[in-house]
Amino acid sequence: MSKQDFRKDGPGAALATKEVTLVELDGHVGHTLEPEWKRLPVGPDHILYPVVVGLALFPILMGDAGHHLADDMPDEDTHPFFPDHFWPYPIIAVMMTIAVGLMAAFLQKNMQLEPSADPRAVTIPRPDWYFLFLFQLLKLGNELVMSVIVPTLVIVLLLIFPFLDSIIGPRIARRLGWKTWPVPGRNIITGLVWIGGLGVVALLTLWALAGPTFCVPWPLTGLVCGA
Amino acid sequence: MAVPHPRDIQSAVVNWLDERYPFTKAVDEALYQRVPNFANAFYYCFGGMVFILIVFQLLTGVLLALYYIPDATGNPAPAYQSVQFIQSNVFLGWLIRGVHFWAANLLIIMVLIHMSRVYWTGSYRAPRELNWMVGTLMLFIILGLALTGYLLPWDNKAYFASEVTIKIIGGVPPPQLGAFIREIIQGGPVVGPPTLQRFFTVHIFVFPAIIVLLMYVHFRFIRAHGISEPM
Repeated sequence: MSKQDFRKDGPGAALATKEVTLVELDGHVGHTLEPEWKRLPVGPDHILYPVVVGLALFPILMGDAGHHLADDMPDEDTHPFFPDHFWPYPIIAVMMTIAVGLMAAFLQKNMQLEPSADPRAVTIPRPDWYFLFLFQLLKLGNELVMSVIVPTLVIVLLLIFPFLDSIIGPRIARRLGWKTWPVPGRNIITGLVWIGGLGVVALLTLWALAGPTFCVPWPLTGLVCGA
Repeated sequence: MAVPHPRDIQSAVVNWLDERYPFTKAVDEALYQRVPNFANAFYYCFGGMVFILIVFQLLTGVLLALYYIPDATGNPAPAYQSVQFIQSNVFLGWLIRGVHFWAANLLIIMVLIHMSRVYWTGSYRAPRELNWMVGTLMLFIILGLALTGYLLPWDNKAYFASEVTIKIIGGVPPPQLGAFIREIIQGGPVVGPPTLQRFFTVHIFVFPAIIVLLMYVHFRFIRAHGISEPM
């Protein structure tokens, strides 16, 4: 599509016909406002302009855009944030509203209340599904190790992972004779670490969900049953 | 006197603003930011979905707080009765509570999926290490929100699940420190009304404030660094 193919009588035409100066805000060195064919489809005289202003407040409040990857790419490999990149999100929001609304309507059973809390009640305590793996982990070894040391270690490793990746990764790559240390999606070592981690969490959760009658012999603590 | 067209009024307002501040330029520049075409891949939407779910949680949480009573004295406790009231008597209360409940569950799944995408594409690498750390902290805060929110209905399931969790947290050595932490969380020797009061306060004031702050930092980093390269 050539420059001439773009409409010059659209809603932003009032502005577009004027000479447009390049915009440089607060030292921003990336893409700048350019000729009319690159202007927003909703101009200041458009009825939806207040909506556009509302949207723009979000990036404006988020501060200056740094030098982005797109700034160094040819225009045909990029697109403007609005409307090209923005439009899926309202659709996703509507779809999610419908999905969550349907879940709320049809899966009421999971939300039903049990009797009011009574400390004297006899019940098998079980956390919600997202903490089941921790609950099950406790049964697999020394309580102190499983409840304090392992979770703390996982939290710290997760937080500092980028540094481990940049410091240890290239050394491992050199030792293996790799030319680069690829991203986890292309790196069998780091890729397996993530999949293995999620797999362990999923396995422990399923084990707990299998119930107290599902027991597996465990070398450290004997027979370990679900929750 | 002719009545001005709304469009003319809007243009006049914009012109007035433009004379005082580069308003149109700022709006255009903010929305015209170029985005690489590869960022249209569906897996780059997961972060946006997490944001949408957090917004759901904040909105429905405010609506639930209008009727919820954080009082666990007596049996049945007012907290329990208020949840029953929301569920049965408040107009669309069942829907609001349902959305809050299911969005919370989906939120944890979506955060994990989003983190997996970030990890898988190596988007935690320089210069985005700090943003990874902020995102990881957000995961823990979301788990904290789930933990504190679970007790609020004050039914048997919530009570005993929270009691077990607090016991685990209170297992930190030495025993004196564990007991101190348990005392701080519970507000007393056992899980009771002070515990509910504390969980409620943390659930609706402390953690939401932290998550909003972390979200702001997260978005500022994204705005500064842009979308990362694909694999």
